[in-house]
Amino acid sequence: MATEESERFDKVDWNDLSRSGRFDLSINSIGMLLTALPLTLLGVYSTAFTGPRTATFEFIGLEQNLESLDFFFIFTLLLAFWYLALPLYQNPRMTRYYWKEFKRNRPAVVSLGWLGIVFVGGLVGPLIMDPPQQQLLIGYQPPVFTSVVDTTPATCVGDVVNGRCFGTWQHPLGTTQGGKDVFTMIVYGMTISMQIAFITTTIVATIGISFGTLSAYAGGWIDEIMMRFVDIILSFPTFLMFLLILYIYGAGLGMFIVVFSLFAWGGTARYIRSKSLSISEEEFIKASRISGASTYQVIRGHVVPNAASSIITQLTLLIPGFLLAEAQLAFLGIGDSAVPSWGQLISAGRSDLSFAPWIVLAPGIVLFFTILAFNFLGDALLDALNPEAEAESE
Amino acid sequence: MTDTLLSVRDLKKHYPIRKGLFNRKVGAARAVDGISFDIEEGETLGLVGESGCGKSTAASSVIHLEEPTAGEVIFNGNGRQGATRDPDGTHPNDVTEFDDDEMMEFRRGAQMIFQDPSSSFDPRVSVGNAVGELLKVHGMSDRHRRRAIVEDLLERVGLSANDFDRYPHEFSGGQKQRIALARALVLNPDLIIADEPVSALDVSIQAEILSLINDLQEEFGLSLLFISHDMSVIRQVCDRVAVMYLGEIVEIGPVEEIFTDPQHPYTEALLSSIPTPDPRASVGGIELKGTVPSPTNPPSGCRFHTRCHKVIQPEGLDIDQDDWRGLLNFRDKVGIDEVDVEQVRENIAGSGTEPTDSEVRAEIRREFDISETVDDPELERTLSEALDLLIEGDSERAGSVLSDAITTPCAEREPEQTVHAPGHESACLRHEGQAAAEPNPADD
Repeated sequence: MATEESERFDKVDWNDLSRSGRFDLSINSIGMLLTALPLTLLGVYSTAFTGPRTATFEFIGLEQNLESLDFFFIFTLLLAFWYLALPLYQNPRMTRYYWKEFKRNRPAVVSLGWLGIVFVGGLVGPLIMDPPQQQLLIGYQPPVFTSVVDTTPATCVGDVVNGRCFGTWQHPLGTTQGGKDVFTMIVYGMTISMQIAFITTTIVATIGISFGTLSAYAGGWIDEIMMRFVDIILSFPTFLMFLLILYIYGAGLGMFIVVFSLFAWGGTARYIRSKSLSISEEEFIKASRISGASTYQVIRGHVVPNAASSIITQLTLLIPGFLLAEAQLAFLGIGDSAVPSWGQLISAGRSDLSFAPWIVLAPGIVLFFTILAFNFLGDALLDALNPEAEAESE
Repeated sequence: MTDTLLSVRDLKKHYPIRKGLFNRKVGAARAVDGISFDIEEGETLGLVGESGCGKSTAASSVIHLEEPTAGEVIFNGNGRQGATRDPDGTHPNDVTEFDDDEMMEFRRGAQMIFQDPSSSFDPRVSVGNAVGELLKVHGMSDRHRRRAIVEDLLERVGLSANDFDRYPHEFSGGQKQRIALARALVLNPDLIIADEPVSALDVSIQAEILSLINDLQEEFGLSLLFISHDMSVIRQVCDRVAVMYLGEIVEIGPVEEIFTDPQHPYTEALLSSIPTPDPRASVGGIELKGTVPSPTNPPSGCRFHTRCHKVIQPEGLDIDQDDWRGLLNFRDKVGIDEVDVEQVRENIAGSGTEPTDSEVRAEIRREFDISETVDDPELERTLSEALDLLIEGDSERAGSVLSDAITTPCAEREPEQTVHAPGHESACLRHEGQAAAEPNPADD
């Protein structure tokens, strides 16, 4: 083995080494390819070979069906695993350093825990819990530890004491008018929220980062045109656009995600562009260019990672906007009524607010905490990932 | 005699200055304007000069970080020795003409160390990977082999193999500069360009890094282009020195000769700026007034004449040199209307009495270091006339009177290179008539 006799830099015969190694794939990319390939095949199979009413996994006897949105969600999860989680494991020193910095912000740690619950709940919940069933007879059950006047629910599942119906652990957060369990619906809503969070982030980050770096490196009139295009994107009335699409095609959750994220990357692209420009002036970029790295290698290896880590904050703060927008549209009644999102649940409960407030309050509080958590997380990530920014402000 | 590793011939780097709606080119900043030097194998050449004189631009043009505007950079490393000039005048080893493959090879032959250790490492890449990146770029795909080489190298520069996985923020400036040295060394180059490698470090660390550079140079037979503004550092590490002023090399020669027998007035001025440990010695015998002129519009003739303390007096004139320098400064200031008589008056009035005209005259003379009477009667008359005009408020005519009468040959002719000793050349008009340097095309 070559490493046996302690290798020395001045004993390397460079003519021996071919250049093929320049295009070596990292373990992350190999893993990504290996996992994304079956997913793509399954996606193609699901859309092209099974009917719209046939479940995707019918061929192995499962009733689970996957929509195209689910495929995209799984794809973004794979991306997050191979390019976010795995690198953190591969570079334990850096991870420990980030964690040390991050930990100093206690609200952010709590937020991370809460988002972890939402994430795991959204992933696992729908697999182990049956979807909420319409049971008109047990509508308006109160949450556990609370009680309502006996006449509110059609039948009271729990005890009736002194003319008041008490909540039970069977429906810890009560039920809706139709008798659907609110807790189950909130768990199913977590999936929707996580889908919105992951997919929009992926779309915005991909377009924003590539557009921004391309613009910065192209320079000249290409840069000028690209940045004016960003101005158009930023000044575009996305909501009106969405209404238009809604009236022409009807708008599902997928359409909402696509339309809103396709008009949300302007700020990211602009930020990435200016960040790339300032990074490319740094001496380590010069050092990398002198090493013989191609422009692509320099951008991929140094400019993008440094620029991207500084937009994580911005992306984290973008997600609450999407979640709120979805909830608002649902509340206005122009959301996707087929998906069990928190917004839909709030909207369903608004007419019963006077006598069954839990239908609105439970998902509302969950939504509120989730958005708050994203905001705290964004702040803490800014401090943890950009120690220089903090050092400058001190 | 050893072989020449690097020959730079008439290298120029001009930055266009664009203005207006259509980006019209309105001029150029001539950061490097025709420099030539050679570096032998195993030799250290120092490049010294004030900030803004084009040292760093010269470095990045030589290493081809920036495309030079004109000139040749002939690199004879990587086993390319012995190449001769092609019949059409081009050189096969000219870096500016290299294709992609040759350029990759050149990257293995010449590397660079930067000034600022804190920004020369990617904060998100461990130092081991930062050093190993070069091996990877040049085709070494075996991760374990890269790691073995880098760990060995880290130990050679005085760190430990365990530092491989640490990140730049975990190191001090001196340690980072050691890692920078490892990064420059890892491809086993023949030439290392060090752009002010120690100026960001404190003095005790400076000495450590310099001795490390010296050791490594001896062990691996490296050639160095060492850029600095610090003459004492230059003296410590260099074999030869090139002194740069405003994009040109004004003097080049062996380090001992330059330090003991400087020929160019600028070199003298730089040397006199070195502080001596003797507390009784007067610091800085020669004071250079003003700043380096802008490279967009360099002075005519000898570029140093606007600040030179040995600026030549025209034929038939022989006055005190300080008076002459003062007169030239006075002429230039009046020419751009920067002598404010009212200000001078106020300054004197500050001491109590209403100043008379003669007091103002004396004050202006004092300000420009001109003695009370200039030795030459003709010149004294002109000066008095100009002072009178100035006090009357007619600075325009004062300017023309002065510029008609006071001229120096330095502003009219560009100096040629003159040879003082083998390998010791300078470009100063005072040495004209001595043996002119022979043109030295690099085809050996």
